[in-house]
Amino acid sequence: MLTLERVSKRFGGLTAVRDVSFQVREGDLLGIIGPNGAGKTTLFNVISGYSRADAGRVVFEGRDVGNDPPHVICRLGLTRTFQIVKPFGNLSVLDNVMIGALTRLTSVAPARAEARRVIETCGLGPHAAARAKALPLGLRKRLEVARALATRPRLLLLDEVMAGLNPTELAGIVELIRRLHSGGLTLIVIEHIMAAMMRLAQRIVVLHHGEMIAEGRPDEITRDRRVIDAYLGEEFVLAEA
Amino acid sequence: MPALAPGRWAAVAFFGVAALVPVGVRDAYLLDSVILILLWGALSAAWNVAGGYAGQVSLGHAAFFGIGAYSAALMTTRFQQSPWLGLLLGVALSIAAGGVIGYLSNRLKGPYFALSTIAFSQVLLIVASRWRGFTAGSEGIPVPFRPGFWTLGLGHVAWVYMALGVAVLYYAVLVWLETSRFGYQLAGVREDEDAAEALGIASRRSKVYAVTLSAAMTSVVGTFWAQYVGFVDPFYVFSIDLSVRFALNTIIGGIGTGLGPFLGSLLITSLETYLRATFSGMKTGFAGIYLVIYGTALILVVRFVPEGLTGLATRLGARRSRAHA
Repeated sequence: MLTLERVSKRFGGLTAVRDVSFQVREGDLLGIIGPNGAGKTTLFNVISGYSRADAGRVVFEGRDVGNDPPHVICRLGLTRTFQIVKPFGNLSVLDNVMIGALTRLTSVAPARAEARRVIETCGLGPHAAARAKALPLGLRKRLEVARALATRPRLLLLDEVMAGLNPTELAGIVELIRRLHSGGLTLIVIEHIMAAMMRLAQRIVVLHHGEMIAEGRPDEITRDRRVIDAYLGEEFVLAEA
Repeated sequence: MPALAPGRWAAVAFFGVAALVPVGVRDAYLLDSVILILLWGALSAAWNVAGGYAGQVSLGHAAFFGIGAYSAALMTTRFQQSPWLGLLLGVALSIAAGGVIGYLSNRLKGPYFALSTIAFSQVLLIVASRWRGFTAGSEGIPVPFRPGFWTLGLGHVAWVYMALGVAVLYYAVLVWLETSRFGYQLAGVREDEDAAEALGIASRRSKVYAVTLSAAMTSVVGTFWAQYVGFVDPFYVFSIDLSVRFALNTIIGGIGTGLGPFLGSLLITSLETYLRATFSGMKTGFAGIYLVIYGTALILVVRFVPEGLTGLATRLGARRSRAHA
């Protein structure tokens, strides 16, 4: 479904992403982990069209999307959420999600109905009329997901939708992601919270200084020497054991 | 999106009263005020498409107003053609210029965009005031009055209905922007361009469309204004004062709302007319006092009712319904 071939992205002298290659197949739930500054979000920006790769190819459903702007990529069926949430702050939750739904639906009434369904799915029902900027962070993260879902993606990229949430909110969003995945959606998830990632992801890609240092099942990743040195640390391994 | 139903009724009342005024009133002074309120309201509504709905605050919309005014005035005086042809020419030129300005809004954000629009209107001012052979330069162009619809030589009552027609049409455009797919997508672009892109919206193109539409709408009223007033002065039609006025009416009335520009125009135009009439007979030292009051009104609104008159009405309405509950 999605193939990255030796993708690199440089900012001046800094190589943010170097020679990253991986594949995502239909129905996958791929996790991307790595320390701050490892290039995770940069990689998302390249895949979703917000920045151009300096080298390599990004192929989605057989089409090279390397030069397509984000709105075209979204219409092809690939969209993303933002780590620093970007709600349409002065609009209601319902209007936010409706704007997503209007990408596939050309008239307003069906888009509103679809938005209501998506809002229910994401557990935002009681907040449909609230102004987006008045929501607490946990709900704004859910709104990011709801809005993206309303565009009916086939592949959804989630950029740290769990960061900054309390344990209850966290459990809720993990449950939501699992439900979306079992409903047939393919996902790539960037996350720092290893416990959640271990339970969710089928495969994990580990980035460090822009390079892919490991790829595998969660249990393989936690045993990988380079991953432990670069990211997890000995304490994690001991705690897990 | 602002609450719909009460605002629509307010609009029906507003335009209904304007429609009824000529039935009972033959006083040219009052009819003139109604015409100006409607024309300034329509101009502010046009500005609102770019400034309110698309979030591209322009301080150079006088450029499009002037293009419309000059196109019609030159069409009638230089080429002896109908001002309606001038109107079409003005719209065509404004679409071209608006497309360029809209494209600029993708490169220049916020204050830089506003400054570039000022610069654009100033360039047109220089052209109009220096190109003596064609535009008559700084002397301006008197527009001859030839009675008839085709020549736009209309009486006061007919002008009330012309102005009302444009005003209602422009109000309908704003309602469309609140209720249509394009309007919702534009709201998304205004709130956050990157997020809108991720949702499949061509942000840049949407902004260009909105600014272009706004420019064309402004140009149409520029034509009507020139034909109604009967004189085109480059230092007036391309002035920053005028550009600021479109923005101020809208901000005072309620930016990004359908009726806001018209309420702002009602308040500011009548206040100005009244103050000018009241103070014009006094010593010359008081001649500009209406500007002081005008400015004070603006500061009060921005400080205490930043969402404008329509927002104030919504707030009071909400309070009352809560008191009833």
